[in-house]
Amino acid sequence: MNEHIVKSYEDELNGLSAECVRMGGLAEAQVADAVNSVVKRNQDLASAVVARDDKLDEAEREIERRTIRLIALRQPVADDLRRAMAAMKVAANLERCGDLAKNIAKRTLVIIESDPLTPLTRSIERMGKLVQGRLTSVIDAYSRSDLERALAVWSQDDEVDEHYNALFRELLTYMMGDPRTITACAHMLFVAKNLERIGDHATNIAEIVHYEITGAEMTGGRPKTDALQA
Amino acid sequence: MALPDSQLYAALIDALPDPILVVTGFEPGDLTGRRYILANTAARELLRINADEGLLLSAVRDPVVLETVDKALFDETDAEGAYETSGAQSKSLKVRGRFLGFGRDGARLALLTLHDETEVRRVERTRVDFLANASHELRTPLASLSGFIETLRGHARDDATARDRFLGIMQAQADRMARLIADLTSLSRIELDEHIPPRGVVDLGLVVGEVVEAAAPLGAQRRVKLEWKSCGKDTHPVLVRGERDQIVQVAQNLIDNAIKYSPDGAAVRIEMQSGLTDLGAAASPEGTPRLSLVAPDPSSETYAVLRVADQGPGIARQNLPRLSERFYRVDGQKSGARSGTGLGLAIVKHIMNRHRGGLVVASAEGEGSTFTAYFPLAGVPESKA
Repeated sequence: MNEHIVKSYEDELNGLSAECVRMGGLAEAQVADAVNSVVKRNQDLASAVVARDDKLDEAEREIERRTIRLIALRQPVADDLRRAMAAMKVAANLERCGDLAKNIAKRTLVIIESDPLTPLTRSIERMGKLVQGRLTSVIDAYSRSDLERALAVWSQDDEVDEHYNALFRELLTYMMGDPRTITACAHMLFVAKNLERIGDHATNIAEIVHYEITGAEMTGGRPKTDALQA
Repeated sequence: MALPDSQLYAALIDALPDPILVVTGFEPGDLTGRRYILANTAARELLRINADEGLLLSAVRDPVVLETVDKALFDETDAEGAYETSGAQSKSLKVRGRFLGFGRDGARLALLTLHDETEVRRVERTRVDFLANASHELRTPLASLSGFIETLRGHARDDATARDRFLGIMQAQADRMARLIADLTSLSRIELDEHIPPRGVVDLGLVVGEVVEAAAPLGAQRRVKLEWKSCGKDTHPVLVRGERDQIVQVAQNLIDNAIKYSPDGAAVRIEMQSGLTDLGAAASPEGTPRLSLVAPDPSSETYAVLRVADQGPGIARQNLPRLSERFYRVDGQKSGARSGTGLGLAIVKHIMNRHRGGLVVASAEGEGSTFTAYFPLAGVPESKA
C-alpha cells in the first residue's frame, strides 16, 4: 500500500485552476482596498495593501512551479496544455494587477499628506468601481469557463478609457486652477493610469480565457479611444 | 409532538434569510478539497451559484472569506471577517465560520454564515458624507468672513470706503451661512417625518398665489416677470393632501430657483392644473429630455400639478439625474450672484416624497427648464364641472 496520496492528473489541473482563482480573489481584494485607501484616505489600509503584495508574488511563483511540474511530468496536450498555459499567463497578469494596486496604495500615502480633493476622489472611486467590476467579471469568466462573459469584458474596454480621459481633463483643470494641488494631482493621475492598466490586464485575461476555451486567438480590433487625442 | 423530519430541516435551512454554507476541507494545501456541500437559497442568490454543491472557490474567492473558512476548518475555532461583494449593488457582509466536526469521509466540516450589514454601513456612510459636505459648505463663507475681519483689523482699518464694501460682503456671507443652516435644519426635520403621511388639506391655488406674491419683490429686483396662471376658471379651490408649510416650501424653492436662473427681462411661468391622472400627460414642450426625480407610487390617484417654467440657460442632460443630490450645483461653486445652498431641490424632493407626490424636470440646454410637482388631490369633489 502506498502511504502517499497520489493525485490524479485531473486533480492536479483542477488544483492549478483553483490556485489561480484564489490568486484572482487576492488581486481583486488588493485593487479594491487600494482604491478604497485613496477614496477614504486610509493610511492603514494603504500600508496593508503594500504589505500584502508578497502574497500575490508568492501565489504567482507557486502557480508557475506547479505548471512547470505538470508540463514536465504529464506532458499535457491540447485542452490540458492550454489550461496549464492559461493558468500561468493569468497568474502573470494578476501579479501585475497586484503590483499596480500596490503602487496605488503607495501613492495614497503621499496623497493623504495634502488636502483632500473631494470631487476628484469621487471620479477615482467611479473609475475604480468600473475597473474592479471588469476584473471580477473576467475572473468569474475564468473560474466558470464562461466564454460569453470573457467576450463581454473584452469588448468593453473603451468605457475605462473614457473615464480615464475625463479624469485626465479634470486633473488638468485642478492643476491649472491651483498649483498647490499639483503634487496630489500628479499622483492621482498615476492612480488613474494604474487603474486603466489594471483594466487592460483584465482585457488580457479575457483573451487568455478565450484562447483556453476555444483554442483560437481573439480576432478583430478592440474598440479604443485614444487618450492622447482627447 | 411529532419530530420534524429531515425534509423539514432542509426546508428550514433553505428558508433562513441569511446565507448559509457548509464547507468541507481535507488539508490546508488542498484547494480543490474545499467544497460547499450545502448552500441555502439566500447563499445561492448572493454568490450567484445554481448548484447546492461545488468547489468553494467557484462560489467565493474573497481572501477574507477563505481565511475565515480555513480558520474554522483547520484551527477548529470560531472566526469572523468582513466581506464586501463587488458589482453595482455592492453588499457589506459579516462572515462567520464555525467548526462543525468530521464528516463520514473524514472531511472536516465548517459552517459559514454571512450576515448582511449593507444597510447599516450605508446609513453610516451617508452620515459621514453629509457631515463632510455640510461642513465644507459652511467653511467657504466662514473663511471669507474671517479673511475680511483680518483685513478690517489690519490695513483697511481707516479706509471708510473699503470698510463699507467689506461689511457688505461680510453681511452677504453671513446671510449665506444663515440660509444654509436654515435649509439644513428644515431638511433634517423633513427627513424625520418622511414616513409619516401629511394629514392636512391645503388649497394649492391659494398657497401658490401667496408665494408668488411674496416672490414678486425678488423678481422685480432681478427684473424677472412672474406670470401666475391658476387653473383657469377660479371656481373650485384645488384641495390637495399635505402640510401647508411644506407645500409653501416647495413652491418657494421652485420659484426662487426659476428666478435665480432667469436672465434679465425673462419671464417665469407658474401654472397650475388639476385632475390629472396620467403623469405623462402633463408634459412640457415635446422632445425635451425629462426625468422624474421623485416618482409617485403607481396608483389611481388624481393629481394637481404645479408647474414652474423658466427661460434660463437650461440643464444639460447628463446633469439631470444629479439635480436633487445634496449640495449639487450644476455650475459648481462659482455661481457667485446665484449662490444658493444647493439644498433647495433636495428639500423639494423629500417633501414630495413625503406627500406621495411626484417631481419631474424637463430641460435642455438653452431652452429653459420646467419643474413639475404633482400633489395627490384630497378627495375630488364630485360636483366639479
